[in-house]
Amino acid sequence: MAELDDIIHQPLRLKIMAALNALPVSAGLEFSRLKKLTGATDGNLGAHIETLAKAGYVSVDKAFVGKKPQTTVTATAAGRGAFARHVATLQEIIAGKQV
Amino acid sequence: MIDSKEASAALADIDDIVQRVKQSQLYELASLAAVWWGVLVFAANLVTWLWPVYAVYAWVVVDVVGVGGLVVLRVLNPPQHLGGAAASIRLLLVFVLFFAFGYLCTNVIGHFGPRQLGAFWPLYFMLFYTLAGLWFGYAFVAIGLGIAALTLIGFFYIGEAFPLWMAFVNGGGLILGGLWMRRI
Repeated sequence: MAELDDIIHQPLRLKIMAALNALPVSAGLEFSRLKKLTGATDGNLGAHIETLAKAGYVSVDKAFVGKKPQTTVTATAAGRGAFARHVATLQEIIAGKQV
Repeated sequence: MIDSKEASAALADIDDIVQRVKQSQLYELASLAAVWWGVLVFAANLVTWLWPVYAVYAWVVVDVVGVGGLVVLRVLNPPQHLGGAAASIRLLLVFVLFFAFGYLCTNVIGHFGPRQLGAFWPLYFMLFYTLAGLWFGYAFVAIGLGIAALTLIGFFYIGEAFPLWMAFVNGGGLILGGLWMRRI
């Protein structure tokens, strides 16, 4: 029986992973874009991205575009796999295969 | 473990965010296309106003360069879904039909003068923009209706400076609209 992924299951982390997973493989989202899409605050989003990064589900790249710092978050292969399993488990719960 | 109601809510959250990401990507691409056409249309309208004898050439160049730019944009941002190549061919066909029908209306069925042509093409283009917006997002509708309304105001109330008006309304409108799309 598949288990829900505790790291992904948290609502904001679920949104972050869903957003990143909707992109082509190796494509990422800028922090500001992710903030707008998820409706999170800077601090909250940063903390949850760190949790996902520690789990190896996302990679965080920091660079300077001109004089502006830019943080890009990308789902890793492990993150995409974990997200797919998490969604499959949710679907199983709805189908009544798990209680 | 969660119950099926909570699982459904989680899946609905995922669907919602995926739709937002797709919308955001579409706006980003459409924004580049709008700014690209905006710059070209601004330039062609200025040529039409300053050197009317070269207007025809300017517009032919703008149309060719404009569509070429869109093709490059499409190649650099290939569609992610399956059947993407077929979608690209359909998009190209849309442009061919768009220009063919416009040409038929303005040169075969009717014989439009420079002023009528200056109003027809933006209105015709904005009609498609507005219709597309009914499926792809309200920003297209707002930009389409806004530019169409200002085009009609110019057509009826602006005299000799109509091409200059259109440079700012159509060209400038597309540039501003495109930049606005990036911020939504």
